[in-house]
Amino acid sequence: MFASKALRQAAQHAERTPSIKFLGKRTIPAHIDHTPQPHPASPTHSLPASFTSDKGSHASFSTYRDHAQQFGPLRKTIRATEGAVGDAAGSQLGPVHPPKGVFFDRSELPARFHRTPISLAEIEAVETGGAAAFA
Amino acid sequence: MLAQRLIGRTAVRSAFKPSGLPAIAPASRWTRTYATEAEQKDLVIIGGGVAGYVAAIKAGQEGMKVTCIEKRGTLGGTCLNVGCIPSKSLLNNSHLYHQVLHDTKHRGIEVEGVKLNLAQLMKAKDSSVSGLTKGVEFLFKKNGVEYIKGEASFKDEHTVNVKLNDGGETSVSGKNILIATGSEVTPFPGLMIDEKRIISSTGAIALEKVPEKLLVIGGGIIGLEMASVWSRLGSKVTVVEFLDQIGGPGMDLEIAKATQKILKKQGITFKTGTKVLSGALNGDLVTLDVDSAKGGKAESLDADVVLVAIGRRPYTGGLGIENIGLELDERGRVIIDSEYRTKIPHIRCVGDATFGPMLAHKAEEEAVAVVEYIKKGYGHVNYGCIPSVMYTFPEVAWVGQSEQDLKKAGIPYKIGTFPFAANSRAKTNLDTDGMVKMIADPETDRILGVHIIGPNAGEMIAEGTLALEYGASSEDIARTCHAHPTLAEAFKEAAMATSGKAIHF
Repeated sequence: MFASKALRQAAQHAERTPSIKFLGKRTIPAHIDHTPQPHPASPTHSLPASFTSDKGSHASFSTYRDHAQQFGPLRKTIRATEGAVGDAAGSQLGPVHPPKGVFFDRSELPARFHRTPISLAEIEAVETGGAAAFA
Repeated sequence: MLAQRLIGRTAVRSAFKPSGLPAIAPASRWTRTYATEAEQKDLVIIGGGVAGYVAAIKAGQEGMKVTCIEKRGTLGGTCLNVGCIPSKSLLNNSHLYHQVLHDTKHRGIEVEGVKLNLAQLMKAKDSSVSGLTKGVEFLFKKNGVEYIKGEASFKDEHTVNVKLNDGGETSVSGKNILIATGSEVTPFPGLMIDEKRIISSTGAIALEKVPEKLLVIGGGIIGLEMASVWSRLGSKVTVVEFLDQIGGPGMDLEIAKATQKILKKQGITFKTGTKVLSGALNGDLVTLDVDSAKGGKAESLDADVVLVAIGRRPYTGGLGIENIGLELDERGRVIIDSEYRTKIPHIRCVGDATFGPMLAHKAEEEAVAVVEYIKKGYGHVNYGCIPSVMYTFPEVAWVGQSEQDLKKAGIPYKIGTFPFAANSRAKTNLDTDGMVKMIADPETDRILGVHIIGPNAGEMIAEGTLALEYGASSEDIARTCHAHPTLAEAFKEAAMATSGKAIHF
């Protein structure tokens, strides 16, 4: 009896499919085109030429924009050839250890890893047992 | 060039960032570097109105370092200080006064000795405003937003100079800059607004006495709301409107006609299809020379106070946009793309200062979207689904397309209406003026527009907006259970009338 009631109800609902559908949890779009498009409420539905013209050393507006955007996800357009820091993962840069039989000299490292330079006054102070510091 | 400089800066910062390095360099060098970095914000917002403060709070919530610059001295902009909020306080309280005065006897309540205390009415308005503006300041603190009181102007593409309200100057540097400077009242040529006798909406919420006669230039939302307030408080109000319909261009024609009829019944005189030629102070009165829009019916109108309510225009004065070469369109709006970027992509603009309807809730939506564009790379505002509400009594509200819009565009449609006179709750409330009008696609039944005039229309339109945003059909609404007895049942019945037949009409 209950089964037939359920079937009858199902049959009733089958006649109508609601327009509103549950689309699932909102997800971040995989690819977003950031090329400038006219604003939906713009009366002219167009952008001035200044929005699409080349800017400085960049090939297009979108590459300029990617560089100009400082906050948020970094775009892939910043390439190693452009000398950006952090554009490649550390693992892609190879091992940090020298190959076998090769040694790094401290002087080859950036200046901040060098030994602190000893001043003439300090040398003299050491040689005189500290007396020069009070002379 | 700019990009190179930016990359250079990023590189310098990255080079100093690893904290695990031995402290070989002198301490002063480290300190200087970090101090410079701390000064540059992730987002600098110019304007603390609805667009600006919402963007600031949202950015704070997203973990961005954000500064908001506002010159008014209080947050909330036009809406909170001299717009939506104070006018709603006056509309609500003047309605209560009018109702107690004229609409209680037949309900079985006899009230005597009713008096208007205008000063107290204004005080109640002011306390609502100050409570809300202070609330926004609290939210700034809660979300780590730096608030600078002063007037901002662009020094260069990344730096904003601020003339502080308390004297002195400072500058703020931002990776992203948001222009949210809002709008100002459009003046009427030849009429100097003094906010005493020739007033804008700002003066209309702060009159010291009830004018005997009030003339309103402009029968749009602001004009009609203020006309209602002062008419209820005892003024003889005349509204002069250039177009043949009141309510502005977005309001459905049928609803506009019904509104005009109801407001006329309340004592407001309308002169539609009439243009104002000139105006002048004439002793204690202000005289306006008007004529029919087509010409040939010239006459003079006198009033104690004239309200100029012909619209608002974007405000970018003193911003120094010429210093960075930003472009405005012919109506003074900042030109932006679909991600709110100006031609300088890290400078964006939202709210009244740019395209779209000048509505606080539209600005709010944009403010959230623009922060999401900056932080996440995507955002969302549906410009086809922004509700409009006029808080007269009864309220008028609409969302989506009007019948005349669809007719003009040659789009087929079907209509369903339901009057509040047939709604049980409206009957018990003795507020039966108005109706719900629903417009849907005849083939798919998808809702195209909802137009309401009636009690609580402003609240009810939220249901229509939700339906429109989700792409619902009128049958979807008709088959959704609504509580009885409620005014919202009129909404369901209008949907039933659109998809089939209403039960109670």
